[in-house]
Amino acid sequence: MCLGIPGRVLEVHDDRGLAMGLVDFGGVRREVCLAYIADEVQPGDYALVHVGFAISRIDEAEAKRTFEALQEMSLLDELEFLRDIAAQELEHIAARGLA
Amino acid sequence: MKYLSEYRDGGLARRIVSQIRNLATRRWVLMEVCGGQTHTIVKQGLDELLGDAVEMIHGPGCPVCVTPLEQIDKALLLAARPEVIFTSFGDMLRVPGSECDLLQVRARGGAVRIVYSPLDALELAIANPDKQVVFFAVGFETTAPANAMAVWQARELGVRNFTVLVSHVTVPPAMIALLQDPDNRVQGFLAAGHVCTGMGWTEYDPLAAGFKVPIVVTGFEPVDILEGIYLAVKQLEEGRFEVENQYVRAVTRLGTVPARTVVEQVFQLVDRKWRGIGEIPASGLGLREAFADFDAERRFNLGTMVVDEPAECQAGAVLRGQLKPRQCGAFGTRCTPEHPLGAPMVSSEGACAAYHNYGRYRAVEMAVTA
Repeated sequence: MCLGIPGRVLEVHDDRGLAMGLVDFGGVRREVCLAYIADEVQPGDYALVHVGFAISRIDEAEAKRTFEALQEMSLLDELEFLRDIAAQELEHIAARGLA
Repeated sequence: MKYLSEYRDGGLARRIVSQIRNLATRRWVLMEVCGGQTHTIVKQGLDELLGDAVEMIHGPGCPVCVTPLEQIDKALLLAARPEVIFTSFGDMLRVPGSECDLLQVRARGGAVRIVYSPLDALELAIANPDKQVVFFAVGFETTAPANAMAVWQARELGVRNFTVLVSHVTVPPAMIALLQDPDNRVQGFLAAGHVCTGMGWTEYDPLAAGFKVPIVVTGFEPVDILEGIYLAVKQLEEGRFEVENQYVRAVTRLGTVPARTVVEQVFQLVDRKWRGIGEIPASGLGLREAFADFDAERRFNLGTMVVDEPAECQAGAVLRGQLKPRQCGAFGTRCTPEHPLGAPMVSSEGACAAYHNYGRYRAVEMAVTA
């Protein structure tokens, strides 16, 4: 749970006062809380995400490098879990008209 | 060595190893704090490459491993209650409590749900107003901003059926406890880069100067770790004791200020027991009084609990760096990732599981039979 997963921010929206956004992790998409970096993040930017929260912005090269390294070291358990729940989450997002 | 060649930076890694060997006039003892780094070191065999120049001691930076048995037992009690939906990060489900683990509680009918984000647990509470949703808030500085925000948002939205069982720990007090231990052998630290992305590294400054230990904020890839080791050895050889940042591409000195702010508003420093290590003063985070309504221990009147660890598990000595996993008599026989005696064998960030998964066990077995 300690290693952040880099993802690409696809869109940003407000959810009951909290900045949220759809983030793409190597093809797996889910909603992420962007509140901590709301002032500096825009769609297209990359962020390091810890347990569903973007904690820092990173550049594209670093995002790709880190993602590949996590894959090579089989440290993407969280991503596997994300993949499992992504489908149901996308339905949830679609139901609210965000995707 | 064979693993390093799989990486595009294999040549670079080998060059750094030879630089470290050239630099070291004696064998230095360094600790990597983070379990993710332990995973890399053991998988790539970096410690074996550095053998006579640097000894790597694997630190306590595995949240699953250090969550105290008492908190696990409280989680098990809560998860078994009929009105509770107990939510947790997936890694905690197989951690053995005194009697069983969360997976077994689920098998007996307890409502135990894995969540990716603490906000998922909050959503579950909103969707199930007739249930009590409890989230197991564990982890280091990496999960604290997320868990703090979930509690903050629960208050903002007036969600009354959401509470958190808090067992947060912070890294610097554990480093101080290790350095104050009379048996301490650690001469320098690799601090966890990912832990510092949110919180920065200002807290490490007094520690490096006060205890005369180099602290290098380091990433988790093989080349990062070797660079971190190089910088720490260079400081030791030159008699410098500073905080240096190897992981400049992701970490800044101050971290992410809004995240630090919310953590400070929701949590306060509390004394915390670390599994296998014991109580460390002001080493944990607990909810501030303003958020007491969201404290599962208060809502369910859990009180204090004192339980003993299984006698055979030597996790404490492993977490303090006094014992390598394979030196434990139960390692790989009575204690395996499938049937763990203690938490370091459960998590992929645990030192025992890393040794087991990457063949350190088999190496010993061959040596014994040879």
